[in-house]
Amino acid sequence: MPAGSLALLTQGAVVSLLLAAGAIIGGTLLAILLAAMAFSRFAAVRIVYRVYVYIVRGTPLLVLALILFYAMPALDLRTGPYIAGTLVLIIYTGALFAEVFRGGVLAIPRPQWESARSLGLPPLAMFRKIVVPLVTRYTLPSYVNVCVMTFAVFTILGLAAAFYFVMCFGIDRLGRMLERHLALRGFAGVRA
Amino acid sequence: MIAIRGLQKSFGAVQVLHGIDLDIADGEVVALIGRSGCGKTTLLRCINFLEEYEAGEICLDGEPLWYRPGSDGARRRVPEAEARRMRQQMGIVFQQYNLFPHMTVLDNVVLGPRFSQAVSAPEAEALGRRLLARVGLEGKMAAYPAQLSGGQQQRVAIARALAMRPKVLLFDEITSALDPELVGEVEDVIRSLLSDRIMMVLVTHAVGFAREVAHRIAYIADGAIAELGPPSEVLDRPKDPGLKEFLRRVRA
Repeated sequence: MPAGSLALLTQGAVVSLLLAAGAIIGGTLLAILLAAMAFSRFAAVRIVYRVYVYIVRGTPLLVLALILFYAMPALDLRTGPYIAGTLVLIIYTGALFAEVFRGGVLAIPRPQWESARSLGLPPLAMFRKIVVPLVTRYTLPSYVNVCVMTFAVFTILGLAAAFYFVMCFGIDRLGRMLERHLALRGFAGVRA
Repeated sequence: MIAIRGLQKSFGAVQVLHGIDLDIADGEVVALIGRSGCGKTTLLRCINFLEEYEAGEICLDGEPLWYRPGSDGARRRVPEAEARRMRQQMGIVFQQYNLFPHMTVLDNVVLGPRFSQAVSAPEAEALGRRLLARVGLEGKMAAYPAQLSGGQQQRVAIARALAMRPKVLLFDEITSALDPELVGEVEDVIRSLLSDRIMMVLVTHAVGFAREVAHRIAYIADGAIAELGPPSEVLDRPKDPGLKEFLRRVRA
């Protein structure tokens, strides 16, 4: 392999890692907001959530990218292809992560809610001390799943498959490490 | 004191509480007994507003809890923030302990004071340590719930409820999920609380224990209090035929 193509591969890998990181961080923040909407007291807000997930998840990513690409000049947003690409991925992973988080919240046993309520915990403390730690543990494997998929999307843009595999493997290992770190102490058999 | 008047509660079309009236005096321990499904646990959960109820009133030290008449006269739930403040005056202990599995024993106990009552971290921790020592778990503060026996978990749950410095403690069949040899250690903790003269409501199947700790026992049948009085009357001279039958069965 000529030296030039290796450099190109490395460069491509670095760029895609950065884009994926941006998409994952942005998507996670968006998803927290979306998942909160899914449990809103107001039916209208819940419907907005469902419609968002339905449309974004049901549209092929490439089509989504095209729509945004053509919509952005109309919205007078002039950005480079990297920003535009990351934005599309944030919108997309936001929907996927949101469903993962929603599932995690649904998995919190009712008695846990009741205990927290009976202590009179205010909403923020409830979120920080009960919801986030439990949902993180429940959803980590599926969360990492979406992360890997997000990264995989960049191969569509024609980046190196070998690097891609190595890096997916990296994300996967990182996920496992986190799982082990966060495992509820004293529970047997939580390790897959 | 607690005053409950005309409490009615339905699950869908099934009415489970048919107008409960019950007063609990300061420092009084009341045991609720009755057959499975009679409504005793529902009554306890209504007191803490884990269940909504359709009619009736619950007052704690003269303050009506959970519902207020709105401007149109219809009753409304109090705002969430107010419900939280009201809940902090009560502690509840559940049959299945319900500790937070991702927190140490000490953090479980400290959580309420720290975040609901804005007690400073060192102060809340000191309180937590004191209460855990009181329930005999000073050596387990750094352990996680799943590393403890059921009896130990239930003692942590009692410490967690006590940490709110509640006016009332509500116990929902707290020994029914325990292995028989672990029941004693949890009952001992309750006995030790009697000197605090804190109000307690115990839902229980342990009639012998109820006789020992309760000032009064309420026998609930079909969502109503069928008999109420000191243990010596309710348990030794039952009048209600259903109660006689119930006692015969639990003692058999």
